[in-house]
Amino acid sequence: MRRLVLTVLAALATLVTGCAQVPTERIVLLPGPDGRSSGAVLVQRKGGAEGADLLLATAYAQADVARDGRLLPSTSDAATVQRDYAALMALQPARPRSFVVNFSSNSNTLTPDTVPVLASAGAALVGLKAGELIVIGHTDRVGTVEANDRLSLQRAEQVRDLLIAAGVPATAIQVSGRGEREPLVQTADEVAEARNRRVEIKLR
Amino acid sequence: MTALTRTLLALALAAPALLAQAPAAAQADTASASAASTATIGRIKSLTGGVSIDRAGQALPALIGMALQQGDRLRTGPDGGVGITLADDSLLTAGPSSQLLISRFAFNPTTYDGALDATLSRGSLHVVSGLIARKKPEAISFKARTVVLGVRGTEFIIDLGAEPP
Repeated sequence: MRRLVLTVLAALATLVTGCAQVPTERIVLLPGPDGRSSGAVLVQRKGGAEGADLLLATAYAQADVARDGRLLPSTSDAATVQRDYAALMALQPARPRSFVVNFSSNSNTLTPDTVPVLASAGAALVGLKAGELIVIGHTDRVGTVEANDRLSLQRAEQVRDLLIAAGVPATAIQVSGRGEREPLVQTADEVAEARNRRVEIKLR
Repeated sequence: MTALTRTLLALALAAPALLAQAPAAAQADTASASAASTATIGRIKSLTGGVSIDRAGQALPALIGMALQQGDRLRTGPDGGVGITLADDSLLTAGPSSQLLISRFAFNPTTYDGALDATLSRGSLHVVSGLIARKKPEAISFKARTVVLGVRGTEFIIDLGAEPP
């Protein structure tokens, strides 16, 4: 009887250990939304033991920390990640998406298609839990960096006011100005470029 | 030189800097914790089961839309899970029985300069890195139980398995 109990216990222990797929610590690099490698992660032991780093640079590259602390490289796959982490990934917040409104050439007035774009952004916000609109102004490269920071913020505030007028709660909106740092079209300094004078409405 | 080679090289070059920064970052954490910044660094976007936030010695029940602050520690129960979006668009999702401390977060929405230090001491974490990592990869770090991760614009999972040994 005792032998049977021990056998059952041993079997249970094996089962439990078998279920614990993860040794102690596991890092898995995932592909980006386009299915391609999304970047890289350098795994280093705390305290920085020499030669103990492991670089994960391809989709599903994996690092396990062995009981003795060594980093063991391996490769996972889509099916395994799905099996082990589907519930985790189902909780991932929505990726940000953007709406863009433009200014008419050589003016500070928004183009006529601004109204439907604002309506789309407002409607999309309603469908999102704890949704926020981040309104980000951009300029072209005419003028100083500082002046363009101010101008881009003013443009963002202009669009914010329109969103509020369209019924979007003010508490759901934040404004910022990126100045001339993020042109849609690369230009030399001091070049006027209407496509770069825009406001991005980021929903997240 | 390909883009990938450059990425790898940048990571290799950043590695000693990351290590050198570790003690300084720890001091900075202490300093910023005592400053007790109450600025909003992100929001809870998804929630399931039991989740609480340790803040200034109190355990607050987590709610959808709740604003997070630097120094917050998120705790999920055995049936819990939580997804947050930080101000730089980083998406962090913690699974059941997890503990995630966001010890440092700073983000300038004009320049995209900033810093993020987070530690997962239990459970599992899914990460989609955000704008800070894109601007300056060495400005963010994720710590697990025995490893530190340097991140170059990417998505990954940290899994600490069941209970710590």
